[in-house]
Amino acid sequence: MSEVSLAQIEKDTVATMSETTWRYWLALGIALSLVALGGWAWSVALRQGLGITGLNEPVMWGALITTFVFFIGVSHSGTLVSAILFFTRSPLRAAIGRSAEAMTVFTIMTAGLYPIVHIGRSWLFFFVLPYPNQRQLWMNFRSPLTWDVFAITSYVTVSMLFLYMGMLPDLALLARQVKSWRRPLYRVLSLGFSGTDGEWRIFEKAYPIFAGVVIPLAVSVHSVVSWDFAMTVMPGWHSAIFAPYFVAGAIFSGIAVAVLLLSGLRRGYHLERYITPKHFDMLAKLLLAMSLVMTFVYATEFFMAFYRGSKAEMEVFRWRATGTYAPVFWGVVISNSVAPLALFWSRARNHLPTLITISVLVTVGMWFERFLFIVTTLARSFVSQNWGNYIPSWKESFICLGGFGWFLMLFLIFIKLFPCMAISESMQSQHAVDAAVTPEASHA
Amino acid sequence: MPEELVAVYADPDEALRAVLSLRDRGVSNAQVSSPAAFPVVHEVEHTGHSRALGWVALVGGLTGLACATALEVGTSKALGLIVGGKPIVAWTAFGVVMFELTMLFAGASNFLALAIFSAHSRRKVAKAVRDLVSSERIVVTVSLAGMDPKLRDAARGVLGGALAEVTP
Repeated sequence: MSEVSLAQIEKDTVATMSETTWRYWLALGIALSLVALGGWAWSVALRQGLGITGLNEPVMWGALITTFVFFIGVSHSGTLVSAILFFTRSPLRAAIGRSAEAMTVFTIMTAGLYPIVHIGRSWLFFFVLPYPNQRQLWMNFRSPLTWDVFAITSYVTVSMLFLYMGMLPDLALLARQVKSWRRPLYRVLSLGFSGTDGEWRIFEKAYPIFAGVVIPLAVSVHSVVSWDFAMTVMPGWHSAIFAPYFVAGAIFSGIAVAVLLLSGLRRGYHLERYITPKHFDMLAKLLLAMSLVMTFVYATEFFMAFYRGSKAEMEVFRWRATGTYAPVFWGVVISNSVAPLALFWSRARNHLPTLITISVLVTVGMWFERFLFIVTTLARSFVSQNWGNYIPSWKESFICLGGFGWFLMLFLIFIKLFPCMAISESMQSQHAVDAAVTPEASHA
Repeated sequence: MPEELVAVYADPDEALRAVLSLRDRGVSNAQVSSPAAFPVVHEVEHTGHSRALGWVALVGGLTGLACATALEVGTSKALGLIVGGKPIVAWTAFGVVMFELTMLFAGASNFLALAIFSAHSRRKVAKAVRDLVSSERIVVTVSLAGMDPKLRDAARGVLGGALAEVTP
């Protein structure tokens, strides 16, 4: 963070809530259009059934489940990165932690919609809750799908609390500073926090405990999603590597989306003083590291399939790279494994348009990567008479695009209602920077 | 409001210097209200519940574990069906939900403890004083009730330039 007064930090952050630029309206307009499109397509699915999608034997999990897995992945890294930056006492956290945590909450809220859409009769979604149905049957706790319900609901609850807990000092500050309808809202939401030394001591003790809870939960949620696949005996899915593979992919896609959101915020609200090239450099390095991990995982999957000699598995992987979806496969390799290699050069890391382009490629690449492993296994499993292809229908694609609009809409509403940067933490970081620059001034 | 001195500082380092000077002169009951966790908030004596937070989270987590165990074992036994070839009480399969609920309850109880302990802690500082806090105002308070006259003078001397009028 460059030199800036403590009051200026508050002023700049409040400006992101009170000033609305044309770029904001444009982004909100795009988001709402996508939501309307997705909502309409879903309403058709509700009226006419899942026959409007491209799903059919043998591929019964397609774009909807792909979007679910993708958004769970994106949700993974926000809270995780924020918690890790907190434990490493990184000064970079103050500017980007809040947006990353909000990204987690809204992506997981979006992800949760897709299994509900996918079940077709969405109004019966409560069947997945621990509640005995009409025949007094309880849910099957041995099923990874049930684990999913618990993992996702726990993660969304804890992520929301983590985001909220971090906002308490800021809400308390804003409750005293802002006027209009916002004041009573912030006053209630701040839970009376007022910054006494006793409260700070309690806050500083409670927050690390919470961050400590969040990290294993974040790892578990994507591991559990991976077990939806890995606990089956399907070729291409039944692999011990799946949990770490999903976790790595999740962090990878999450960082790419975080780069896109932060660069938008920076540009849209002139937050260059706070979201600095240092932040992007750190994110770019993380992106590069995760890309290398992903490349290693891709190679390991192929190596294991061919070394093990299982014919069904060899066929799945051979077909993935050379069959109907080969262009998608090689596109994924280029976007996830080749393009990020440019980030080895500091010039590429510090050139924002390059970093944004790579992040867009990775985001799209990761969606298609999820698509590939779901679809190719189902389309090419054990019985060759049962092989088939799958292409999502237009309406199905609109439902998926609606999810992206939904996420963007929630995020845009959030940054209008709440500070997108941690004011209190930024003040603390700024003070630490000032103290480091002029130690004699702060040395009591 | 009981008799007390209220001083307002714009600079966290000035507030820190004031608190350290007070301590050097034997005044140990200063309280600080601050917009951020600047070093000054760690320099005042504190008697609070912060140590209990870890225990609350632990108890919360164990409660979550007990709830998950009861839910999984209880409902599986009530159903009495072997599903997917796993035993009726399948500990390995149940482990995931147990872990999730343990963490969920630990996090939720930690948050509740934060809210309750904070509410209890802030009552030591008058509301009028707490309302003074802003991004440019760090408030140092010294209660004069029952204080030795020499210490009172020392406190006035240290805080003198920054003293503020506070209407209860």
